[in-house]
Amino acid sequence: MLPDHLLSWMIFFPLLGAGLILFVPKRYPTVMKGIALAATIPPLWWAANLYVQFDRWGTGFQYVEKVPWIRAFNIHYYLGIDGISVPMVLLTALLSFICIIASWNINEHVRGYFALFLLLDTSMKGVFCALDFFMFYVFWELMLLPMYFLIGIWGGPRKEYAAIKFFLFTLVGSVLMLVVMLVFYFGSVEPATGLHSFDLTILADQSVHQAFLRSHTIRWLCYLGLFIGFAIKIPLVPFHTWLPDAHVEAPTAISVILAGILLKMGTYGILRISYPLLPDMAREFALFAATLGLISIIYGALCAMAQTDLKKLIAYSSISHMGFVMLGMSVFSNTTAINGAVLQMFNHGTVTAMLFLLVGVIYDRAHIRDIDSFGGLAKTMPVYAGYTGLAFFAALGLPGLSSFISEALVLVGSFQQYKIITITATTGIILTAAYFLWTMQRVFLGPQNKKWADLPEISLREAFTLTPLALIVVLLGFYPMPVLDLIGATLKHTVAMVVG
Amino acid sequence: MIPENFIQSNLQGISFIGPELILTLAILLILLVGVLLPYWRHRILFTILAVAGLAGSVLPLWKLPQPAPDLTYLSNLFVWDWLTFLSKPFFAVVGVLTILLTQVTGEIDNSEYSECTILVLAVTMGMMLLVASTDLLMIYLAFETMGILSYLLVGIRARDERSGEAALKYVLYGAFTSGTMLFGFSLLFGLAGSTDLLAISQKVAFASQHPQDRLLLIVAILFFLAGLLFKTASFPFHFWCPDVYEGAPTPITAFLSVGPKAAGFVLFIRLFYPLFATGHDATIYEAVSGLDWPSILALVSAITMTLGNLAAIHQNNLKRLLAYSSIAHAGYLLMGIVSLSDLGLRSVVFYLVVYLFMNVGAFAVVAMVASAGGSEEIDSYRGLGARAPYVCVAMAIFLFSLIGLPPFAGFVGKVYLFAAVIYKKIYWLAVVAALNTVISLYYYLRIVKAMFLEKPTETIQIQVPLSSRVLLLALLVPTLGLGIYWQPLARVVSGMF
Amino acid sequence: MFFDFANVFIFIILGLLMTFVIITVSRLLAPRVSDVPDKFTTYECGERPVGSAWILFNFRFYAVALAFLIFDIELALVFPCISVYHKWLKAGSGLFALIEIAVFVGILFLGLIYMWNRGDLKWTKEVPEEMEEGLVLEEEKPITF
Repeated sequence: MLPDHLLSWMIFFPLLGAGLILFVPKRYPTVMKGIALAATIPPLWWAANLYVQFDRWGTGFQYVEKVPWIRAFNIHYYLGIDGISVPMVLLTALLSFICIIASWNINEHVRGYFALFLLLDTSMKGVFCALDFFMFYVFWELMLLPMYFLIGIWGGPRKEYAAIKFFLFTLVGSVLMLVVMLVFYFGSVEPATGLHSFDLTILADQSVHQAFLRSHTIRWLCYLGLFIGFAIKIPLVPFHTWLPDAHVEAPTAISVILAGILLKMGTYGILRISYPLLPDMAREFALFAATLGLISIIYGALCAMAQTDLKKLIAYSSISHMGFVMLGMSVFSNTTAINGAVLQMFNHGTVTAMLFLLVGVIYDRAHIRDIDSFGGLAKTMPVYAGYTGLAFFAALGLPGLSSFISEALVLVGSFQQYKIITITATTGIILTAAYFLWTMQRVFLGPQNKKWADLPEISLREAFTLTPLALIVVLLGFYPMPVLDLIGATLKHTVAMVVG
Repeated sequence: MIPENFIQSNLQGISFIGPELILTLAILLILLVGVLLPYWRHRILFTILAVAGLAGSVLPLWKLPQPAPDLTYLSNLFVWDWLTFLSKPFFAVVGVLTILLTQVTGEIDNSEYSECTILVLAVTMGMMLLVASTDLLMIYLAFETMGILSYLLVGIRARDERSGEAALKYVLYGAFTSGTMLFGFSLLFGLAGSTDLLAISQKVAFASQHPQDRLLLIVAILFFLAGLLFKTASFPFHFWCPDVYEGAPTPITAFLSVGPKAAGFVLFIRLFYPLFATGHDATIYEAVSGLDWPSILALVSAITMTLGNLAAIHQNNLKRLLAYSSIAHAGYLLMGIVSLSDLGLRSVVFYLVVYLFMNVGAFAVVAMVASAGGSEEIDSYRGLGARAPYVCVAMAIFLFSLIGLPPFAGFVGKVYLFAAVIYKKIYWLAVVAALNTVISLYYYLRIVKAMFLEKPTETIQIQVPLSSRVLLLALLVPTLGLGIYWQPLARVVSGMF
Repeated sequence: MFFDFANVFIFIILGLLMTFVIITVSRLLAPRVSDVPDKFTTYECGERPVGSAWILFNFRFYAVALAFLIFDIELALVFPCISVYHKWLKAGSGLFALIEIAVFVGILFLGLIYMWNRGDLKWTKEVPEEMEEGLVLEEEKPITF
């Protein structure tokens, strides 16, 4: 039984939970956690239904809701999803649910943590469903507030620095996006009403753009503004320095959300906004973006190799993996690469979530994350070692696991357009394999470190958070069609639009 | 010789200054009560009288005819347009909030309280007169009524050295700048032979054709700017602002930061738009040819916001920090004036309204924390989030709103201002303002960080009385509400210009 | 037109120039001494200041002077009214004008009463006892040089 206004329910249901949590007396922390969990289950169910019912062959937006919001600015409450949004919404719903369980051991300021988490959940889903530029922006910014507090209050030793750095970096991108948004608003006229518009579907129609928005300089600057905004979020080298700090200091569940979902918003934003609104500039910037993607792949991998902190290693590996997404998205001569890129967004979301959850498991027990101080953990924690092995192999792109397929698609597709870049990018895969295997060896194999000989095995709760992700990783490794047939039609349309 | 109908028309005109008359009555009543009863007791009585006076002052507004741009009264001294009509309740709200804030925080001694209420009412009256004036003399009179009495307000704590210092600085700066402005007025009068703005504007359009008159006009504009930039605390007349804001009692600081500042911006609109801009297809204006004041103001705007934000970064006293932030906000607001369009004017008014709630809110929290045993230094906010969660969450919301983050009202205000300059294609100013937003984030977050992210250094329990909480709630509701649904306010400001 | 301003401009230039000329001349002519005690007095020229520059005036002077000033201005404003009152009477609005003047004087009078009530007309102001409890009077610090 699905409610009307499915997307609204899905977005705002967690917010209702957050409101409810505020009224729970302080002495019942478990009730608060329970409410938080309960607030993420229906959205997950709805997202699953959405996945099943979504019309895979339609290129338009589905489940559309459009109500005037602010008439003075012609802003609409406008929601809708297409093939790119569905996997992202599903991923968000799934990871939110898992992260609530993973946060069960949060014991200080419980009320604040779960209320903010649910607010974050709402804003993330909002970003993936919004079709009005203004709404998109509101949700995009709204995400920063809870994130700042979640890193800053519940984070590690350098949490204050990490939180403010995250906030400042992302805000630079956001305000540039705000300026571009307003340029588009005044630069376009809705033909039906003669009003300016924030409607993304209308702005994508190049014929509504006014004369000054057709000038090459303005378009070039607009694209640059948007690109910087999204590149900070992805993050592409050289805009990436906030990420290692934020990831390392954030509590486990928040690292999962950061890496699993927030990074995807950058690439999602490019697909949803930059490409449709400025397809000509997308072509012009493609080589530049691909190069940045390549630099991210190599630089991220090299940095990861040098890390001694497990979380930092995964953070840099995220930069490297997101580089593949950017590379794949910059290819317009075929649809293979871009399909691979979006699949990689989904896969990276699941794999990296697993990785951060696994680091959280070991950190909860040992309270350090130093790679070199462990050794022979496979003996003490065999099940844990098994999960980690799966996640590591998935991350390094072992055939049969999900990331292999997406990275392969990206490389196969981009080889047609950028030969040298693609060949160089392949070395990134080798580097990735190198540092993951090396880490594996140092942590799980070799002589057993007596200090950690009696670490308890992974608990049922922790296993419960990991198992669904592991299943997805394995399933998509053998059979990626569940995601690919979802995104195919939409991406074909996107590429056709960009190529013109 | 007095015309036959002179007194008759004056009597009719008096109904238009009903709010001011009611405020005068309230002031006299408070004076009388102060004489008849021991004025150092009965604090609540003065509060009630003052609030009632302010509330009563807006009542006659709705009995008056529909505002129109050309409806003048009292020998063309005042105009009855939408800007006048809506500014008066605005200033009444400013006054009410100030009085209530003074009441709940107990910032000002009982022995000075009755005078404080009188002065707040009187300054409010001055502001109400100012926004309606269309005559240079009346403008100057109202400007000084507002100014001189606010100097007194700043120095109301007679025994506080800093309060006295602040008042003296304010007086010196104020006297200098208003004298300069008066000289500008006299130049204009010399050119046009009239003090009526409408009459002057016709002369100005004509005079700007001649090079020597144009030079005179430019000098006059620069002299005006001295007075206006002083009141709005903009570069290069902003130096008084941090000292005065720090020295004055906090509720008075809040009052100055939204009252006279807003009046200054309304005066900007009153003076510059009829005099030095010509209407153009009803939505866009153009500066009178040869007088490129928008470019000067755009530069002033950019410098003001950058300077205010950069200087705020290193402040440890919250009142000083908010003073610099208020300078920065003056810079943002100037963007609306610069943009020379109805959208720009709307954005100024819209921003002033939301700025009222969020800025008074921030100062209210400062006053409440100080009166509950803390201090105005950022150190005493360490870990306050755990000890006084309600107040700190409120403060965080006000600060986020001041930064301009959704879903708070400050965001919408900023969107308006950004929209105004982008509409006029002044992209560089939009980008400067956007980057300034990022700078401002840093220092506002210093407070948020101290409240929520840091461990407390002291463990004194902060008790905030219920009355303070209610006042905060009253400020929170518009700060949040206007951020989520601002169509009503948008409609109001669209009707104004 | 612009030529008129040239006078002013030259005047300003000359003024600025003179400052430098005088400083340079005195620099050249003045003997270089630094250990003469007169050098450290206020005027640096042998004229000894008499008494302290920081004389304390009684604050009451200001209060009384201000009150006087206000009524002085009142007089100045009411006086012209009287000179034209005859005409107002003829125009049939004499009563109205009278009331208006009365209101004006009344308001000022109320202010006087207020001042009186606060003890600001007395040479030594008395603070009511119950009010004094709330006040913390700072110790007077002697002014030293």
